[in-house]
Amino acid sequence: MAIIGKRLVNQVKTTGFKATVAQRADDVFQRMTTGLSWDDVRGILRGDPPPKPNPRVKPHTESFWFHIRPTFYHEATTTLYPTFRLGLLSALFFAIEIITGIYLMIFYTPSPERAYSSMIDILTNVPFGMFVRDLHRLGAEVMVVVVTLHMMRTFITGSYKKPRQFTWLTGVVLLMMTLGLSFSGYLLPWDQLAFWAVTIGTSMADAAPGVGPTVNLLLRGAPDIGAGGLLRFYLLHVVLLPFIGIVFLAVHYYKVVRWGLSLPPDMEAVGEDSARKVSPDKRVNFLPDIATNEIMYIAIAMAILAISCATWYRAPLETHSNPLVTPNHTVAPWYFYWLQGLLKIPHIIPFLPGDLANGLDKFSANVLGITPKVLWGIVVGPLVFVLLAVVPYIDPNPSRRYGQRKIMLTLGGLFTILILYLSLAGIPTGVPVTGFGFVGGAPPSEIGQEFMPDEGEGELMKIPFDQMIVGDYQVSADPGVADAPELNAIIKTLYYDMQHRMSTADPNGRKLSQDTVATVKIVEIQPDLKQITLDIKYTDDLTGAAQDFTKFKFIHKNSEH
Amino acid sequence: MSIIKKIVTFKPSFNLRVIVGLISVVGFLAACAITGFSDLTKALGEQDAKYTARAIEAGAKVYFDQCARCHGADGKGIEGQGPALSSVTFLGKKEGKIEVQKSQRLLDIQWVGNLDGYIRAVTASGIPLKSSNQWEVTHPAFGQAYGGNLRDDQINDVSTFILNWSQAPATAGIIDSPKPGAAFTPKATAVPLTPEQEAGKTAFLKNGCNACHAIKGVAQGNIGPNLSTFGTTAATRFTEADYKTSQGKAATADEYIHESIINPQAFVVAKCPQGACPSGVMPPTFGKTIAEGDLKNLVSYLASLK
Ligand code: HEC
Ligand code: HEC
Ligand code: HEM
Repeated sequence: MAIIGKRLVNQVKTTGFKATVAQRADDVFQRMTTGLSWDDVRGILRGDPPPKPNPRVKPHTESFWFHIRPTFYHEATTTLYPTFRLGLLSALFFAIEIITGIYLMIFYTPSPERAYSSMIDILTNVPFGMFVRDLHRLGAEVMVVVVTLHMMRTFITGSYKKPRQFTWLTGVVLLMMTLGLSFSGYLLPWDQLAFWAVTIGTSMADAAPGVGPTVNLLLRGAPDIGAGGLLRFYLLHVVLLPFIGIVFLAVHYYKVVRWGLSLPPDMEAVGEDSARKVSPDKRVNFLPDIATNEIMYIAIAMAILAISCATWYRAPLETHSNPLVTPNHTVAPWYFYWLQGLLKIPHIIPFLPGDLANGLDKFSANVLGITPKVLWGIVVGPLVFVLLAVVPYIDPNPSRRYGQRKIMLTLGGLFTILILYLSLAGIPTGVPVTGFGFVGGAPPSEIGQEFMPDEGEGELMKIPFDQMIVGDYQVSADPGVADAPELNAIIKTLYYDMQHRMSTADPNGRKLSQDTVATVKIVEIQPDLKQITLDIKYTDDLTGAAQDFTKFKFIHKNSEH
Repeated sequence: MSIIKKIVTFKPSFNLRVIVGLISVVGFLAACAITGFSDLTKALGEQDAKYTARAIEAGAKVYFDQCARCHGADGKGIEGQGPALSSVTFLGKKEGKIEVQKSQRLLDIQWVGNLDGYIRAVTASGIPLKSSNQWEVTHPAFGQAYGGNLRDDQINDVSTFILNWSQAPATAGIIDSPKPGAAFTPKATAVPLTPEQEAGKTAFLKNGCNACHAIKGVAQGNIGPNLSTFGTTAATRFTEADYKTSQGKAATADEYIHESIINPQAFVVAKCPQGACPSGVMPPTFGKTIAEGDLKNLVSYLASLK
């Protein structure tokens, strides 16, 4: 202390007070910027050209975060094409998920008794709770999209080729991690949506020959999803998968830096990789050009995400999970629709007659001893990832030029179309127009699903509360409810929907009988609580028996359905 | 083509990057600030109202599935089955969030917690001791921890639903719980059982009749008809028109009771607690399994239920 004081006094004596303070302040400043003086930083912020020798490369050797990044990029990789900043954005969303996830972790308890009520708590008691949850949920879905697009772009620009095969391979692991994170997170709110989507997902695993039941048991911790399953999914979601993600992201990015960003294909000779041989006049320094560029994209992405969550986006939360009640039309999360589509093969192959499809089903079940569901969903589904992983190792073409990769690009395009088609076929309503993949019950229960689903939005629930006037309403073209125009309109819609189902058969060939009559009944149960009952009397088209379908819902004034 | 090329090879200038970046940062911060401000002022409250409303909806479903059969669809109570839950005595009265009248019931039973706690406690664990002979049944324990089938969240929801009646509690046509203490005064009209009838009651229980039949204060079965006032029914049943067209051959009340036990199919009663009476559910073998003497006592016991 005394010695420092003595030096300070000496310095003040020799150079004067002002100069001493300036020198000391700069000292501290340079320690924080790992070698950049105040003037250097100012120059960076103003966009001045660097002095020579360039002091702005110092942080790349001195500091942790900068040493991860290259000191310069090739000019040709700094435009939107070829990267579209998709790798950067993938990493950004991964970071957003980790940060928002930690905030949610503070308030969340992974037990069947507490999970749902901690979600309600987050939404109703925690400042920024709903916002952060929306960010986390929307961020997760966008991340799946961004990572997939990033993969597509590296495929299209041929960046997976030598020497970047391993970069691609680690990328495939990152893709699986991303999907795994989204899927394991899906269960945690412990509502009906979560519970049944994950039940469907894990029961796919169950069907796998041999190891299936074991895998399923490992995931669920018990024959059915319960306390054990919830805890395991939670641990996957917050420990194992993020850990795998961070490790593989480190390797992935190390490889990216090691080989340099691939140049646009037409800029280098076939079979050559010139990404690391950048002549000085083509170099764009990381500071300030690349850094500000990246910061801009990050800021844009975060602003769009945050504004979306502050305005239109709301993460869904349905009613508490109930193992005893399966809602109609349960689905896996949308990024697994294609897997659900696979399960419906051969019934979704266009132009394949239904009898033949059934025959194929029987053939594979009886002769091969394995149902198509198992074959396609369990054996072929995971093979998709294996196929992706080996792409760089089986593509024999050394050229990255678009003109010389027609076969591979066509295959990639077909693969994309196939996945999109399977996704469409995977949703319960099936492919539009042809209706391939439609899974529906009797027409009245489909009407019930459309107008009054077990979970989520339905037409009848959208009637404003003050227009839910107590009474019995015959469903007809002119219900004549003058003082409740919306109620009137929705009953009319219901009428035309029924007419449509009477005249045109659904993809299963089922029609609503001509003698169908429906009523909508509204009763007041409590102040601000009403019960809407939809009653459909019809003749069953398969058995010819008179049937009565009823479904009801309770609607509270404030529940915002 | 060239426009696409222009877009994908576009490289924003340094100034543009700084400006767009700054605008985005401001946008991001504004979104956060607006959310934070509305959370602190009203958003959390609105969310709370929304999810309370959803809890009421879910609770209504539980109530109609599980409770309405004893407490009534309107919550006004059912004679002999369960007291009113929507009455002003039970709930007190609320205007908005303010309690304008206290629950008299809680004061009477000297419950120290609040009404929500009381409702949840009764629903989850039942009422271990029947508090009044006005009720033919004891309270089922619905909580999963007590062997029932309702989860905690369902119990919370049904309580939220019941409490929602306190905005406009029922004041007429209600069957409230009797005050504690007032409950156990024996009925003036109650006639003590003869030794034969006592033996008949024992036979009733010993032969498992209580699994299907209810008798006020004795049994709670709900498959066959409630026999609490069966003596009165039996006295006239054999004279009724639809009995005469059946296979029944009884000409007196005792014969009818005897026949109902040993040959239940002879005449199938119309109404049971779960709707129309099922034929062939009551075992037709009692004529063989119950000794002659016991059967006589049983008939005499059932005839005494008026
Ligand atoms: C089998 C008939 C039955 C069913 C079903 C039933 N209850 Fe009851 N309930 C009763 C009876 C009988 C009493 C009065 C018991 C006593 O006081 O000994 C009672 C009392 C109560 C009380 C206390 C009322 C008071 O005045 O102290 C509450 C609260 C209650 N029930 C709630 C419920 C709820 C909630 C459900 C549905 C989940 C339900 N009950 C289902 C029969 C039933
Ligand atoms: C498995 C359920 C079951 C058991 C056990 C059972 N009953 Fe019944 N009982 C019924 C049903 C259901 C009916 C109504 C249908 C009928 O009349 O056959 C009925 C009808 C009766 C009736 C006619 C009621 C009336 O209103 O006319 C009497 C009396 C009767 N049972 C007495 C008994 C006695 C005494 C026993 C025991 C020895 C007994 N039951 C055991 C199910 C049962
Ligand atoms: C969490 C997921 C991922 C993250 C965070 C990530 C991150 C990155 C980053 C930051 C880059 C730098 C270049 C750029 O921005 O494009 C990159 C390049 C690359 N990524 Fe990924 N990536 C992910 C997933 C994937 C996937 C799924 C694949 C393919 C299967 C993949 C394959 C590649 C390849 C081949 C490159 C080299 C591109 C080149 O040199 O031009 N990555 N990745």
